[in-house]
Amino acid sequence: MRALIFSVIFIFSMSSFSLGAVISDIDKTDIELSTRFDGTSLLVFGALSPENDNTSLLVEVIGPSTSVDITKKVQIWGIWVNKKIAQFQDIPSFYKISISNPEHPILKEIEYQKLKSIFYDFLETNSTPEDDNGVEQYYHELTRLKKKLGKLSIFEEKINIIDKKLFSYKVTLPKKIHPGKYKIKMTLIDQQGIELSKSEQSVKVSKVGVQEFLSSNSKNNPVFYGLFSVIIALFLGFSAAQLFRWLYR
Amino acid sequence: MQIFLPIADVPVDLFVLLILGAAVGFLSGVFGIGGGFLMTPLLIFLGIPAAVAVATEANQIAASSFSGVLAHLKRRAVDFKMGNILVVGGLLGSAVGVEVFRIVKSYGQIDLFVSLCYILFLGSIGTLMFLESLSTIQRSRKSVNTFNHKKKHNWIHGLPFKTRFKSSNLYISAIPPVVIGFIIGILASIMGVGGGFILIPAMIYILGMPTKVVIGTSLYQITFITAFTTFMHATQNKTVDLLLALILIVGGVLGAQLGARVTVKLKAEEIRILLAIIVLLVCLKLALDLMMTPNDLFSITYSNES
Repeated sequence: MRALIFSVIFIFSMSSFSLGAVISDIDKTDIELSTRFDGTSLLVFGALSPENDNTSLLVEVIGPSTSVDITKKVQIWGIWVNKKIAQFQDIPSFYKISISNPEHPILKEIEYQKLKSIFYDFLETNSTPEDDNGVEQYYHELTRLKKKLGKLSIFEEKINIIDKKLFSYKVTLPKKIHPGKYKIKMTLIDQQGIELSKSEQSVKVSKVGVQEFLSSNSKNNPVFYGLFSVIIALFLGFSAAQLFRWLYR
Repeated sequence: MQIFLPIADVPVDLFVLLILGAAVGFLSGVFGIGGGFLMTPLLIFLGIPAAVAVATEANQIAASSFSGVLAHLKRRAVDFKMGNILVVGGLLGSAVGVEVFRIVKSYGQIDLFVSLCYILFLGSIGTLMFLESLSTIQRSRKSVNTFNHKKKHNWIHGLPFKTRFKSSNLYISAIPPVVIGFIIGILASIMGVGGGFILIPAMIYILGMPTKVVIGTSLYQITFITAFTTFMHATQNKTVDLLLALILIVGGVLGAQLGARVTVKLKAEEIRILLAIIVLLVCLKLALDLMMTPNDLFSITYSNES
């Protein structure tokens, strides 16, 4: 595997390309979510041709979109009750961003722009924020909770750069991830944050085997799934009765 | 060994589930109970969503009660006519229960609803059972036997639609069995229980059925009701996790066989008091979970998945 990766990188780095360019590849294009899936990682790697020392590489991993409700527990008659306070429509279920130069002068601005265009712009509230912080509170809770679940990381992970020309980046995926298409975007930017070159890869994450059979039938063929569940249960009940009758004859 | 449950959408440890299934199965073998009212809260404590715990538990009970009713059929200890009338009421109750469940779920309050139902039921039944066994123990210490289960004529006998139940040697109205069946259907669909702890006393004390057909007939009804409830939950709420059900069935069958073969050197009322304590402990844990300040006030849920 390693040898393969390095030979690919070697070929890539030998080829000549225009000023400020990035090319990339990935070590797998399919991830199978089986019943035993316990999280995984994938490796993105490639070559850069930086215009000068002031370019930085951004790597983003963007998972399939879902809608997310933010709920808050409120106390009613001494009991904690869930109350839906905000919804974010169709935002990535998973998002990671890393940069090769953590000292980039406008890092904070890049962070805010990215979060805004990916998460914050999709906020829909039905209640007026009670907090003084207003909608900022919803932004804060969304990012805090997503980070806690391992589904959001902002400039926390390191991109390995070798000789200013080669890069590799390891993406760890938690055990609970949404199936769908995961995009990996690599962008070369300058000191002002202006894009110089882009490259994109994608990974298909799909449920397989029992996982796929049960979850797709439960969703798409509920009548079949319901009958199937009942028949399996009755069959097992019958088998157990027969088995123990035979054992204790 | 960790496995990922497809419908519950949570990773769990396979051995923990098997042991849990076996432990509850063992207790049900020892105490002669179904175990649904213990298993559903335990699944919730493990982090499985309440809606999935309830529907999946109904699926498990369909397996265990079918296995049980087969033995009673062999011994001809089932009153089919009574069973069928109970089933009619039960199917109605289950349909109503699943619909209520669906509505509450659409408001996002199903976890709370299931917990409250459990606290109410486990609390009252546990307390009743505890007090009753306690007074029985005290009575037996004074060695005065005040048991009196003589058949009496009560309000049941004044109701219309009287019909003859040959196996039970009864001539009573069909209304009480329909109503009792209905209540069991509601309990099965909302709480994921077989409802034996209500059904059996109701059959003996309200309907006046002879003990020899009570267990077989109740298992007969419970098999139908839980099978129907499983189907309804699968189609209306999509919350039956068959993988979870399979693990619980395997664990439960083994545990129950073991439990039924263990000779417990305890008196009936002592067994009941033990059971009452278990029931009250589960109830207490559910209540504390609702009342204690949560670690994190906020949470996120994926709304377009349910």
